[in-house]
Amino acid sequence: MAANPTDIREEGLSVAPGSAPASGTPIRQSNLWKDAWRRYIRNRGAVVAGVIFVLVVLYCVIWPFVSPYSGNEVDFTLAKQDPSFSHPLGTDKFGRDLFTRTADGGRVSILIGFGATLAILLIGVVYGSISGFVGGRLDNGLMRFLDALYGLPYLPFAIITLAIIGRTDMWTMMVALSIASWFTTARIVRGQVLTLKENDYVRAAKAVGARWHRILVRHILPNTLGVLIIAIFLELPAVILGEAFLSFIGLGISPPDASWGAMAQEGRTTYRTHPIEIVVPSIAIASLVLCANFIADGLRDALDPRTRET
Amino acid sequence: MALLEVDDLRTHFFTREGTVRAVDGISFAVEKGKTLGIVGESGCGKSVTALSIMGLIPKPPAKIVTGSVMYEGRDLTKLSEHELEDVRGREIAMIFQDPMTSLNPTLTIGTQITETIRRHYDVPQAQANKKAVELLEEVRIPRADERLKDYPHRFSGGMRQRVMIAIALSCDPKLLIADEPTTALDVTVQASVLDLLDDLRHEHDMAMIIITHDMGVVAEAADDILVMYAGQIVEHASTLDLFDNPEHPYTEALLGALPQLEGEGIRQGRLTAIPGRPPDLIDPPAACRFGPRCPYAGGDSCTEQMPELRELRKGHWVRSAHPASERVRSEVPA
Repeated sequence: MAANPTDIREEGLSVAPGSAPASGTPIRQSNLWKDAWRRYIRNRGAVVAGVIFVLVVLYCVIWPFVSPYSGNEVDFTLAKQDPSFSHPLGTDKFGRDLFTRTADGGRVSILIGFGATLAILLIGVVYGSISGFVGGRLDNGLMRFLDALYGLPYLPFAIITLAIIGRTDMWTMMVALSIASWFTTARIVRGQVLTLKENDYVRAAKAVGARWHRILVRHILPNTLGVLIIAIFLELPAVILGEAFLSFIGLGISPPDASWGAMAQEGRTTYRTHPIEIVVPSIAIASLVLCANFIADGLRDALDPRTRET
Repeated sequence: MALLEVDDLRTHFFTREGTVRAVDGISFAVEKGKTLGIVGESGCGKSVTALSIMGLIPKPPAKIVTGSVMYEGRDLTKLSEHELEDVRGREIAMIFQDPMTSLNPTLTIGTQITETIRRHYDVPQAQANKKAVELLEEVRIPRADERLKDYPHRFSGGMRQRVMIAIALSCDPKLLIADEPTTALDVTVQASVLDLLDDLRHEHDMAMIIITHDMGVVAEAADDILVMYAGQIVEHASTLDLFDNPEHPYTEALLGALPQLEGEGIRQGRLTAIPGRPPDLIDPPAACRFGPRCPYAGGDSCTEQMPELRELRKGHWVRSAHPASERVRSEVPA
């Protein structure tokens, strides 16, 4: 049957004979992501935080390739120099260029941060969506297990995990930190799945024969994306802080390898005579954590219009 | 043999407060190519009936206690979830009340149509796309091939319901269950969607169950009408017979509550409402469930035991001790 324009009563505007201009001229498409972007860039704090965050990450990734120095090269003749043109942040007690070493340490810290966050998301999404989607007794069991894990303090849990693995490097740090902190993400995902699976379009999809995996992957998980993106920037600072803390108390990355926490630990011994050694990594940690929190805040307002601009 | 035969279906909800007898022993049949209307007020069990046929009732707490749903010789209540998934969409499709929330906002409507097609038929994407365009044209959506790439928020309520109809029709089901398909739409759009459904039903040679609380909707669309009250069928007749000679006091009251615009002996003044409220479906009374609201009840068997659903005349079934044609003059209330 041909489309008969005059039959479409509720679409009169765009198809009424004679009102042709509507066809062809693209109407400005507004979708979730464009809207979210517009709302995000209106939040000045979040934009500044985002720019700083990107700059810090780029600096950590690129500078070690560009730098004339190596972050691990010891030269006692250059020890404890103050900032100068050749060493923008000076050198530490082993004569290593701090500007280069901070980038080196940042690479490790940020890599651990993102790696562990990714693992947290993976575990959290799988655990949370199974729990929420299956529901009933399984959901109850999984959630009570989670409640029990919640009772364990975060850092001791990570320390014990490290002790059990018996080896400390970047990879084991990621494992330990993600095992100790996936609970919140799992809960968030479960809550989302629980509400989303009652949606009319899930029922409508079932009514035309969609199977459960299709419903989960196509209709439920994509709708949790906004919440997951926020979760990334909430977990990231927690993980980076956790890494810094573990390295600072000597249970994480150990010298000569650098991470911001390990650098602060080394700088601790000279904080009276040469404080820049502890100040630089501390500022680096603080700036990244602060920025991530601002970004999470901005994203939350941008992706969930209901909570925006009170 | 009828396409769908529901026999003594009972769907109960087991809640903490007690067992809710949402559907309590209903039987009916839908013939090939015919339309059955199910009418009743909110909470009378019409939607649960539809969901029970589809196997979509939430279990727990709901459960089909007894009864069978025979579809082409197969009892749908006995099928596994996996087998049911193959029936849904392919054999029996369903459209829901609220088109604004029945489409996934994160997928284009093209995706949502073609996914249904490819769920049931092994065809390449290009062919599914072509079929989707045809379907959208069939439900009279202009510029169908362009609109395939649009997300649901770019469609009005009426158009979304058309898209839902297109999705429901995508696998040529033999039975379409429409659960209040026009309730969420405004009146002019309602009429066009009903026209569309009726046209498509003839073209596709589908049977249809249309569920509504709007007598006007079933009057136009249905061949037979089933009036439900408190989980039971109280009257079952052909549309003409039901509107011309309603037998059950509840049906009479429903028709009396409709505004009349024309005709001889047109009622004047206020519309008549039905006094009282439907009974609680947890432990409903053993007597006639309409008894407390019935103007004719009192002093006879129907206050103690449930009247049977009986065939008053050919094809006209009533569950009442006081059908209109058996009443004596003295029974008419003051």
